[in-house]
Amino acid sequence: MTEERLWRKFLETDEHGKPVPYKSPIVGISRRAFLTALGYTSAAIGLMSCRVPEQKIIPQLRQAPEQTPGVSSWYASTCAGCSAGCGTLVKVRDGRPIKLEGNPEHPVSKGGLCPVAHSLVFGLFDPERLRKPLIGGKEATWKEVDEQVTQRLTPARTGGKIRFLSNSVISPTSRSVIEMFISGNEDAKHIVYEPVSTSAVRTAHKLTHGVDATPMFHFDKAQIVVSFDADFLGTWISPVQFTREYSRARDLKGGQKEMLKHIQFESRMSLTGANADKRIKTSAAEQIESILYLFGILAEKGGKSFSVDPGAIQTRSLSPAMKKQIASVAGELLSHRGSSLVICGSNDTDTQQVVNSINDILGNYGNTIGIDNPTLQAQGNDREFAELIREMNAGEVTALFMLNVNPVYDCYSSEEFAAGLKKVPLKVSFDSSLNETGSLADFVCPDHHSFEAWGDAETLKGTYTFNQPTIAPLFETRAYQESLMRWSGDDRSFYEVLRTFWKENLFPKQAKYAKFEEFWDNSLHDGIFVADSGPTEKRAEFTSNDLDEALSRLGKQEFSDYSLAVYQKTTLRDGRFANSPWLQELPDPITKTAWDNYACLSPGTASKLDLEEGRVVTIKKGSKAVQLPILIQRGQSDDCVAIALGYGRTKAGKAGNEVGANAFPFVSFSEDTFRYSATDISIEPTENRVYLAKTQTAESTLDPAGFKRPLIQEYSLNDFVNGKHEEERAEHQTLWHEHDYPDHKWGMVIDLSACTGCNACVLSCQAENNIPVVGKDEVGRRREMHWLRIDRYYEESGEETKTRFQPLPCMQCDNASCESVCPVLATVHSSEGLNMQVYNRCVGTRYCANNCPYKVRRFNWFQYPHDDPVANLALNPDVTVRSRGVMEKCTFCVQRIEEKKIIARNENRPIADGEIKTACQQSCPADAIVFGDLKDLKSSVNQNKKSGRDYVLLEDLNRNPAVSYLAKVTNSEDVGKEEH
Amino acid sequence: MSLRTIKIISILVTITGAIAIWQNGTFRQYGDQSGYQPIQPINFSHKVHAGDNKINCLYCHSAADKSRVAGIPTAETCMNCHTKIKPDSPEILKVAAALEKNEPIQWVKVNDVPDHVVFNHSRHVVAGLSCNTCHGPVETMEKISQFSSFSMGSCVSCHRTHREVILGADGRPQISAEKSEKKLMASTDCSVCHH
Repeated sequence: MTEERLWRKFLETDEHGKPVPYKSPIVGISRRAFLTALGYTSAAIGLMSCRVPEQKIIPQLRQAPEQTPGVSSWYASTCAGCSAGCGTLVKVRDGRPIKLEGNPEHPVSKGGLCPVAHSLVFGLFDPERLRKPLIGGKEATWKEVDEQVTQRLTPARTGGKIRFLSNSVISPTSRSVIEMFISGNEDAKHIVYEPVSTSAVRTAHKLTHGVDATPMFHFDKAQIVVSFDADFLGTWISPVQFTREYSRARDLKGGQKEMLKHIQFESRMSLTGANADKRIKTSAAEQIESILYLFGILAEKGGKSFSVDPGAIQTRSLSPAMKKQIASVAGELLSHRGSSLVICGSNDTDTQQVVNSINDILGNYGNTIGIDNPTLQAQGNDREFAELIREMNAGEVTALFMLNVNPVYDCYSSEEFAAGLKKVPLKVSFDSSLNETGSLADFVCPDHHSFEAWGDAETLKGTYTFNQPTIAPLFETRAYQESLMRWSGDDRSFYEVLRTFWKENLFPKQAKYAKFEEFWDNSLHDGIFVADSGPTEKRAEFTSNDLDEALSRLGKQEFSDYSLAVYQKTTLRDGRFANSPWLQELPDPITKTAWDNYACLSPGTASKLDLEEGRVVTIKKGSKAVQLPILIQRGQSDDCVAIALGYGRTKAGKAGNEVGANAFPFVSFSEDTFRYSATDISIEPTENRVYLAKTQTAESTLDPAGFKRPLIQEYSLNDFVNGKHEEERAEHQTLWHEHDYPDHKWGMVIDLSACTGCNACVLSCQAENNIPVVGKDEVGRRREMHWLRIDRYYEESGEETKTRFQPLPCMQCDNASCESVCPVLATVHSSEGLNMQVYNRCVGTRYCANNCPYKVRRFNWFQYPHDDPVANLALNPDVTVRSRGVMEKCTFCVQRIEEKKIIARNENRPIADGEIKTACQQSCPADAIVFGDLKDLKSSVNQNKKSGRDYVLLEDLNRNPAVSYLAKVTNSEDVGKEEH
Repeated sequence: MSLRTIKIISILVTITGAIAIWQNGTFRQYGDQSGYQPIQPINFSHKVHAGDNKINCLYCHSAADKSRVAGIPTAETCMNCHTKIKPDSPEILKVAAALEKNEPIQWVKVNDVPDHVVFNHSRHVVAGLSCNTCHGPVETMEKISQFSSFSMGSCVSCHRTHREVILGADGRPQISAEKSEKKLMASTDCSVCHH
């Protein structure tokens, strides 16, 4: 054939009847030949190509003397997550900070940390951080920025107002730098703006005590706490500090017979309310009137002469039953004069004045409330911020400097602010990531991350801590203090300024060290310096000058059918951490929902409006509207609609954009303070539905047949003190061989009485163990990866809803049902009692997860990406990063156990009790987790296991877990023993 | 190309490959990299330093008794001696140049275990194991190569037999194969190395 055919019949035969091999016209080779060649060459290549992929090992050029490669060093620093100023220890490994832990010696946090602190590591290595300064949105050099800013600042300094807008600056040295910058100008001011503000506490104290400050609340000195909607264990002022003191006052592990009593009056279900001994559900009207009624009773019976018109106390919405409850609360408060604490979360000065009066009648000032030694946290001044908006819109502001604020997103009137911003000729932002406000600035001068910067902090008067840099700045950022100094012609580094400040102001306040260098080095090492306190100042006296007006204003308040309450979540807070995937994925402790916000409605309201969970509704107030799915929240008052702040961001970054809806428009400004509740709102259902990503939908411990499963054991304080909780434990019988533990046996006890459900342990575990983030869709499929979870159960009796929290790590069962079903023995029992998970052996059968009765095993369904080299710096090098198809679970932080075992053996000594701290245990602000060696007879975990409160979960299944729980003790009379 | 040509070429290639395997000793287990001897940026000879001059391993690899990694010496450590000793040798000039230009030396990693294995040097060094046990006769190596296969079996066989630490005549720990009532020292739990 002369013509080439590209196709032919199936089998062509030649003149002898033999099949003709096909020859490709392109390559000129038959199929068979091609395959033969392919086989030979691939075999040959395979035999020769098994080479090692070349890996580099690069030592430092000069060894830093304090660093040993592979050994972690710890630096004492301060957390920059909020204005509470908790002390931290930063774990630095080979020049990279990889974990934050609480500093046990720090008076604020005393070793505990909240979830936000742990997420700061991720924020340091966030690939979306700004790497260079920006001029008009384009990258520039610092030289250009300094030239242009200095040039434009000169005319702005005279004849115009210069404003420095920031969040609470807790660093005294930084404040001095800001002061210095401001003082060089004709009319300049530093305005502190906190989007979620507690400024009413300050303004009220200004009126009643003449002190414009937030007092110190001493929960450890109180025997009873009555909180009106103050979420002090969650987000109010200094939650870690309060949780620490609160849990110490309620600790029963050391044989105590008394407990701090906690009564909460609230409309929405907050974390604090969930922990209260008695939680009284109030509508918005009942909330105000309860405070007034309580004040009325105390004014009458308190023994102090108050000229209060009894008619001024409005109680028209209080039922007789409610009045009786309040009367009994008043009685309890009166029997604990000087050791009680009444606090209120409202940001209304009038309400706070009444609360101050209540505390004064009870004699709490000077005992549980320290107004003479106030705290330096929470410095927001709402009135000045409102004034700033007016000034900007009037064109009076010539230069605006913005640090750690985002008013275009989170202020009560962001359109006004944005409009005013346009009229300011010079706008400088110090944001480290571009946000809604920073993108409108002329100059963005990215500040260092707190791990890269020097600084100090003073939140308790007289106690100074450091903020130490633990890594050289990753990008071309610059400390904002240095930026301010450059623009004032000062070329020093901020480190120099810090040292000078300490030398001149703090070094003289002590007598221990004679030389400044000694003082400096030792203070840096400890992280804390407590100045010799001077003579105690005069006690501020209470005056009730504005009280009558306050009462009459409060009495005139109108309420509508629905009342909106906007609140901060313990994770995203005011939205500044919206781009942290760790915080977005951490399920809300109460609603167990991640990656979303929603409008919480009570079950009654939802059924009245015929709405099912997930239905999208439009919440409207006047011209402001927001569309959100609803979530049915037990225990919430029927008139209350609660929406979390911090969502609906548009310029947060990959993780934070378009998550949820922005509720900040519902914040209002009235009478010098921001208001976080609103009346006259309407709920309009739409036809849409949204699937909420929840990690737990079971709401109670009742099983389908209606029996109460013995998951949470609970006793009243009376029963506990009288020994009624000592019940006989069934004798442990087993057909299995007992394991032999020659050396150690690790065990854990979780005190349900101490656990507040804050979820700090969950984030600590995520940071320590390289746990991936899976995203909303996967969380919705119940595939979240958190090794430790905190279950939340409701118990409803009449009008009361009780909430119970239970952390569940891997139980490390002795008779583990997961061990016996692994076909490849990837999970076996160690000689120290741990149920080991060997990642490289696991083939992904998932039978072990199926068999686990506690459901604590997590499977890697996907190859969770670790592509970004900057983000990978946050990984813990001691823990394997698991690939797709591998099962993982809590390991009792075996890497920490092994590390300490090796150190102890190298030093030829036994391991001390408390030397090994699992990540969850270390982070808990409430000291709820105790971990240790059960073979050590004196260890605290052993002592706790012998407690009568100790019980094991699902005991009948005979798994013999190493983790047991201490039953919850409630300081309340109406708690019966659990019925099985 | 005809089929015959292809067959000849592929047979030759296969023979070459077989010779390569034969030269390396035996068929390897997957992951067995013993004998790996990559080209290093600087021609450092362990024979000269550890062999002829008898410098202690821990002088340069100073982290070995303190940390999980032994550590490659910093350029500064080299210059401790080499500012005076043979400063003009071309290889040593490379070290000095690295220090001047502030560019760390990028050595090629020779002794390595997979990422899912955690190995702690300090425990083994303090327990008395000599460096040669796992790293072979390094003091005879002109160019460093991997001696042991670092297979799991090579680690576990030692952990199973050498379980107890007895002090020798010099007061330093000696490895003994005898079992006694003393506590287990070398654990065979999986999670000791795989976590």
